[in-house]
Amino acid sequence: MNALEARDLCMGYTSGKLRTEILRGLSLTVEAGRLTLIAGPSGCGKSTLLSILSGLQRPDSGSVLALGEDIWRGDRHALDRFRLQHTGFVFQGFNLFPALTALEQVMLPLGYMGVDDRAAEARGRAALDEVGLGERTHLLPAEMSGGEKQRVAIARALVKQPQLLFADEPTSALDAANGQIVIDTLRRIAHEHRTTVLCVSHDPRLVTHADRVLEMEDGVILNDRRVPHASASQQERAS
Amino acid sequence: MIPLARKTLVHEWRRFLPAMLAVAFSGLLLLMQAALVFGIFGSAATYISASDADLWIGYPGTQSIELGRPITPAARTAVLTDPDVARVEPFAWVDGDWRGPADKGGVSVFVSGISTQPDGMIFSDVLTASQRALLKEPFAVIVDRADLPKLGVPIGGQALINGDLVRIVGTASGIRALGGVNVVASLDTARALDNDTGGTEVAYYVARLKPGANATRVAARINASAHGYAAWTASSFARRAVFYWMFQTGAGLGVVFLALVVFIVGAIITSQTLMGAIAGSVREYATLHALGVGLGSLRRVVLEQAAWIGVCGLVAGVLLSLGLIGLARMQDVPVELNLPAWIACAALVMGIALVSGIAAVRALRSADPALLLR
Repeated sequence: MNALEARDLCMGYTSGKLRTEILRGLSLTVEAGRLTLIAGPSGCGKSTLLSILSGLQRPDSGSVLALGEDIWRGDRHALDRFRLQHTGFVFQGFNLFPALTALEQVMLPLGYMGVDDRAAEARGRAALDEVGLGERTHLLPAEMSGGEKQRVAIARALVKQPQLLFADEPTSALDAANGQIVIDTLRRIAHEHRTTVLCVSHDPRLVTHADRVLEMEDGVILNDRRVPHASASQQERAS
Repeated sequence: MIPLARKTLVHEWRRFLPAMLAVAFSGLLLLMQAALVFGIFGSAATYISASDADLWIGYPGTQSIELGRPITPAARTAVLTDPDVARVEPFAWVDGDWRGPADKGGVSVFVSGISTQPDGMIFSDVLTASQRALLKEPFAVIVDRADLPKLGVPIGGQALINGDLVRIVGTASGIRALGGVNVVASLDTARALDNDTGGTEVAYYVARLKPGANATRVAARINASAHGYAAWTASSFARRAVFYWMFQTGAGLGVVFLALVVFIVGAIITSQTLMGAIAGSVREYATLHALGVGLGSLRRVVLEQAAWIGVCGLVAGVLLSLGLIGLARMQDVPVELNLPAWIACAALVMGIALVSGIAAVRALRSADPALLLR
């Protein structure tokens, strides 16, 4: 089943008299429960594509069906609601509130979803457990390493139990060990929670761990590769 | 629900401190201005508020006490015939020219001629029975202790009023006048100093009513048959005096104007600081927005922060004001604040904080989550 379907996406920017086309009639489908990676050189349009697919930026033309819903047809509030209910985000910068502990960062979005405090705390602790921070729930961002911060950011996205998880360069600010933890976590989320994880990165380690790699250049997809080892390892785990 | 606004405010208090200080000082300015205005203009009604008379009888249309004109002695008899009136006492008001030491020149004084009986109504709150008794000595006067330097004569010293020699027999506190110096004397002394009417007529009579009588109704009854004089309740006469000084002199408009300036300056500084604080957290706000938290909810966070800044600033402003008011009282600076003034200032301070919050919400516009992907 396809979690995301994009049709004929066009997007460009005008700067002075100069018009730059970022996406040129791009179409793609993303399957549910897979870790899909969009790779490509910087400026190829991969971040723009992610922001359009995730409902953060309206395309000049084209449509996006996310979970069967044409997300760019509704108004701003409908889009906010869709993101609140169905999507999680992990950004390159961790963007954690300096005043909140790890647990509070993770509980925060649940409050806006109408989850009561007790349930939010239970879900928050479970999400932090899942990213290996079950013992570090009381730490403030200033007391965490970069890898821990990114794992809190992943837990904050995960706690909403989203069907769609978008990640933008999630490992670029991390060292090798922490990068690996984040990659493994994203993969596990895709395979165990059946979450559609769409990740934008130029990190070669991610390429080898993704289920599918889309290579972009100049606003179009040049190459669409399914990585066999990913499903093999899935089978290993299943057995 | 995680209290994001409050937690951020506490954790990043240094970032929000300038906004809180701006609110606190706006509150301090508003409160001190109100205290001074009420203190200074309230002294226009000192004679009335420091006395325990229920009714004041004076020249018809008199707008403030120092504008009194001599009235007919028949007024006393007429007022006394009202069944609810218990007692009537004359109050002489004489303009005087004080000549003390040569280096002080002349000073305009208002001579109040009052009853020297222990239960005299005029200045009952500020003069003791023994001070009143001192006034029985011919040409003895009492002045406010804060006016002594202006008069240039110590207690026991002598000076001339309208050419007659008087002696300061004591001082009191709380009888300072607006635009001159109050000199309290006995009725006989005041009459002797009065060169205009020769002391046959006084400007006011004050009356005490029988227990349970309604002052407004008695005043209306007296006014219905009055000729050449009029009656006011003490509170309405005091209000006339204060309003006359505040609005006929243009000072009232000045106060409103200054309050407006304080409001605008306070709101600008507070909103700028708040905007700075929001700009510092814009990526976090953008992340929340990306996660589907609507701009309305984010605005509420900012407004809640503004409200807390208002409350904290208000508390700090009130404490500072109380300290300054205490200091001012010790130095005999006329300051006075009533409950409506406190409430009005508090409302203005919260208004400053909330208007700043509303202005600062604009900074959230830059919390566009798409920016996080570039």
